[in-house]
Amino acid sequence: MSAAITEVQRDKAEGPVEEAQTASPRILLVGNPNVGKSVIFGYLTGKYVTVSNYPGTTVEVSRGTMRYGGKTYEVIDTPGVNSLVPQSEDERVTRDMLLSGKPDLIVQVADAKNLRRTLLVTSQLVEFGAPMVLVLNLMDEARSRNIEIDSKALSELYGIPVVQTVATEGEGLYQMFKTLAKARVPRDPLADRRRRLLNGANGGSITGSSMGGIFEAAAESGLPAQLTIEWLQTRDVNLREPVESSLSLSEETRAGLNRSLRMPMRTLGNKLDEMRNAFLDDAVSQYKKVLPGIAEEARDSQTLRFAYLFLALGLGVFLYTEFARLFNQIFGLNLVTPYNAVNAWFNASIIPQVMATLGGWKLGALGTLLFGELNSESGAYETGFLYPAVTQFFLLIAPVVIPLGVVLSRSRRFAEKLGYWTRGWQTGFPALIGVLLLMYEFVGVIGAGTLVDAFENNLFNRYLTPFLQSVIPAGGILYDFFVGDYGLISVGLTYALAIVLPIVFTFFIAFGLLEDSGYLPRLAILSDKVFRIMGLNGKAVLPMVLGLGCDTMATMTTRILSTKKERIIATLLLALGVPCSAQLGVILGITSAISAGAVLTVFGVVVSQMLLVGFLSSKIIKGQRGDFIFEIPPIRVPIFRNVWTKTRLRIKWYLKEALPLFILGTLILFILDRLTIPTPWGKMSGLGVIERSLAPIVTGILDLPKETAQVLILGFLRRDYGAAGLFELVRTGSMNAVQIVTALIVLTLFIPCVANFFMIIREHGTKKALFMLAFITPFAIAVGGAVAWVLRALNITF
Amino acid sequence: MHERISDEIIEVLEATWTSEERGSASEQRIADEAMTDVTEALLVECEEEGFIKRFGNGQLKLTDQGRRTAEEVIRRHRLAERLVVDVLGMTIEESEADACEFEHLVAPGVTEAICTLLGHPRFCPHNHPIPEGACCRQSEDRLNSVVISIDRLPIGEIARVAYVSARNFPRIQKLSSLGVTPGIPIKVHQRFPSFVIQCEETQIALEEEIARDIYVWRK
Repeated sequence: MSAAITEVQRDKAEGPVEEAQTASPRILLVGNPNVGKSVIFGYLTGKYVTVSNYPGTTVEVSRGTMRYGGKTYEVIDTPGVNSLVPQSEDERVTRDMLLSGKPDLIVQVADAKNLRRTLLVTSQLVEFGAPMVLVLNLMDEARSRNIEIDSKALSELYGIPVVQTVATEGEGLYQMFKTLAKARVPRDPLADRRRRLLNGANGGSITGSSMGGIFEAAAESGLPAQLTIEWLQTRDVNLREPVESSLSLSEETRAGLNRSLRMPMRTLGNKLDEMRNAFLDDAVSQYKKVLPGIAEEARDSQTLRFAYLFLALGLGVFLYTEFARLFNQIFGLNLVTPYNAVNAWFNASIIPQVMATLGGWKLGALGTLLFGELNSESGAYETGFLYPAVTQFFLLIAPVVIPLGVVLSRSRRFAEKLGYWTRGWQTGFPALIGVLLLMYEFVGVIGAGTLVDAFENNLFNRYLTPFLQSVIPAGGILYDFFVGDYGLISVGLTYALAIVLPIVFTFFIAFGLLEDSGYLPRLAILSDKVFRIMGLNGKAVLPMVLGLGCDTMATMTTRILSTKKERIIATLLLALGVPCSAQLGVILGITSAISAGAVLTVFGVVVSQMLLVGFLSSKIIKGQRGDFIFEIPPIRVPIFRNVWTKTRLRIKWYLKEALPLFILGTLILFILDRLTIPTPWGKMSGLGVIERSLAPIVTGILDLPKETAQVLILGFLRRDYGAAGLFELVRTGSMNAVQIVTALIVLTLFIPCVANFFMIIREHGTKKALFMLAFITPFAIAVGGAVAWVLRALNITF
Repeated sequence: MHERISDEIIEVLEATWTSEERGSASEQRIADEAMTDVTEALLVECEEEGFIKRFGNGQLKLTDQGRRTAEEVIRRHRLAERLVVDVLGMTIEESEADACEFEHLVAPGVTEAICTLLGHPRFCPHNHPIPEGACCRQSEDRLNSVVISIDRLPIGEIARVAYVSARNFPRIQKLSSLGVTPGIPIKVHQRFPSFVIQCEETQIALEEEIARDIYVWRK
């Protein structure tokens, strides 16, 4: 029985090998996390894959093609690994890739400043016996730390070409490309020592006879000896299985793996490990030189001094503005901030008239949109979107961000200091608040405020929709279809392009900057203790923060968590409580217009429910919490080109993913609205039936207007669509403050959107996905009902 | 310990302790494990001295008194293993014989000194827990430890990794793949809210529980 299974599995394992022989040659990019594999992949294939400054950006394999010397090669970018012995799901991908068939070329991309870790991976890769090239990337960081690597000696040691690059700057990339042709099958410097150890082990002194079976099997199946020993010691059966199945083991040996061979295998594994460590220590001390401070940075550079000065000034302005705003709100003071002052000065000056005249002159509607116009009745100036966007950017954000970028790019010492300030609690929490405030200014004020206003109120509601309404004959079905109450343009496109897109756009830029700066992993340090309450560890902050961009993408990122239990809890929490950026923008936009209390209530309830659900599920779900061992990347200056590319791709992805659903949602509403269904309560539209049947929940439990039912339906298609619908309901003034708070809480906690739901199915299977759905929906309604009841009982109106 | 307990009895207590650690103790198991001949007479003697309780069905367990005595012996034995492996640099197999001798020879006060010297290790080289002594609970070190876990290493001081005493293998592997292996110099950057250590040019965030498993040599 078991032998038959082995046969089948071996066939499976051999399948891809044969395929690979007929297909174009495969080039595998392998290396530690966060060393620039994706940048090099982009260079070789011309294909962009997301590049960020934290470990675990790539969780899936990306493939592209490269042409070289008239031949086409398949280039494969793999998730980063610190060792080819996988400890978690995302790490196994690379190992399995190597197991499934020898690649034609392995390109190891490495962090030059971390030579020891680099060579650990090199030593493991050479065991596979495929042609290799070693790329020492991040040479700029190595140089700025006075680290010198003897590439030539390394190249001799392994018998493979070694090149030094700074991939993000393009330095050395062409040379690397040319070197690919010179790839050689590496020499394994450990081979002799290992053979001696293994022979000793076979002799029976420590291990007895059956250990020999494993080596023979490994050699026969073409598997690396030392790695096989290490793989077979993995505790997780799922991670071990592919190795066991590609080894042709005798029945007894297989049984022995689980019992009697444990100890000898461990002992031998330790010895092999010790030997390799000794070798690595030697290699590092020989080939890596840390020069005494020759490359002392130019501290007294004039630009740097000015940048420091501006940074200090900018921080001062920023802090003053934020505090003044806070005091004004709480104590009803009237402190003047630079932003107010500039606005007052601007409004009193002649510039508005000039701008309005200029704007209306030749550009027509576009001019008005950009520069604003004078109200035809009162003569008051109504701003276009350029003016507020520019002043907001230059007065609220730029004073801090721009000098910060300049200082960072010029002083490594400062980058190190910043890294230090952002990870300790005394400075880390204030820094976090600062980052959040900057995000709020950019996404909340400029994105959700100014841009949405410009697009929605001006472009769509003042020009596009009225124009179409005047063109399409009123009363017909076409009119209703495009610009009616549930029209494709008046609702679907307005929501997608005018409300959600500006928020998503600004969020993705801000988020891209944060990603590339290396700030996000520092949040893991600050939040580890909180996540532990929920059966997770600090690493979970990454999927959670990514969830603010999109829960669907984030659900996939939960793979960086090391245990199944953690992945399930993180997925559940993402589906339950993490709002996506547009939804967050809407929440901030709506609640901050009510009061600070409303903001705190919404977030307080959502966060506390996540903590509660996380805590309970960590008790219910079987399994272990993974270790919190997390590599913190250095603070780097984001390269704007990369942030821009990422934003563009994400926007493209958003349009592709979200726009059809917005249109679909509008169509559903449109059809429901037009259907006439005879019911016990008389003839009603389909929408009426839904509102009526959901009434016990919506108007009963939640005490919301019955139209909110529509919002909840839209929310299932896409959360941000629901949020946009809510935004409109609030604008038309059909809800009071308590209802708004309740509705926002329900919508945030409410069921995951369709795309997210399918991703949950993909990652965890239908059963778990349905279970989550069945839990989240009633839970959201129950929490919403409780909040509504408490607020009414306490007579809180905000 | 007023009177000297015979080495045979100590062996029985030790074997009972380790069996109980893995679940429950039976006479068969103890006979297999103890380094001495476990005769019926010996077991009777142990019971009469009030160290163990036999249930008659082949099962047995330590009494409170037996537990106290066994705890000390086990503690000495496992500390001895640590000492031999960490300080004298012998392998685990080599350490076994010496540790056995050691546990019968050393006086309680000396045990404490060794424990402190080694930085109150929590696990032996085989990753079995070392029972806590009074010195571990007091934690104020009169004698400066040579090997300490990094949660006690002053911030900013560079020290070489002596060993990683994790009970689970994946943890050791994970740390070693990030470069934390014996002999490597590391530095603690901060302790709260999480540990941050640096090793080569890599900064690693750790939870406290894991930091307590990394032992270093102080200069």
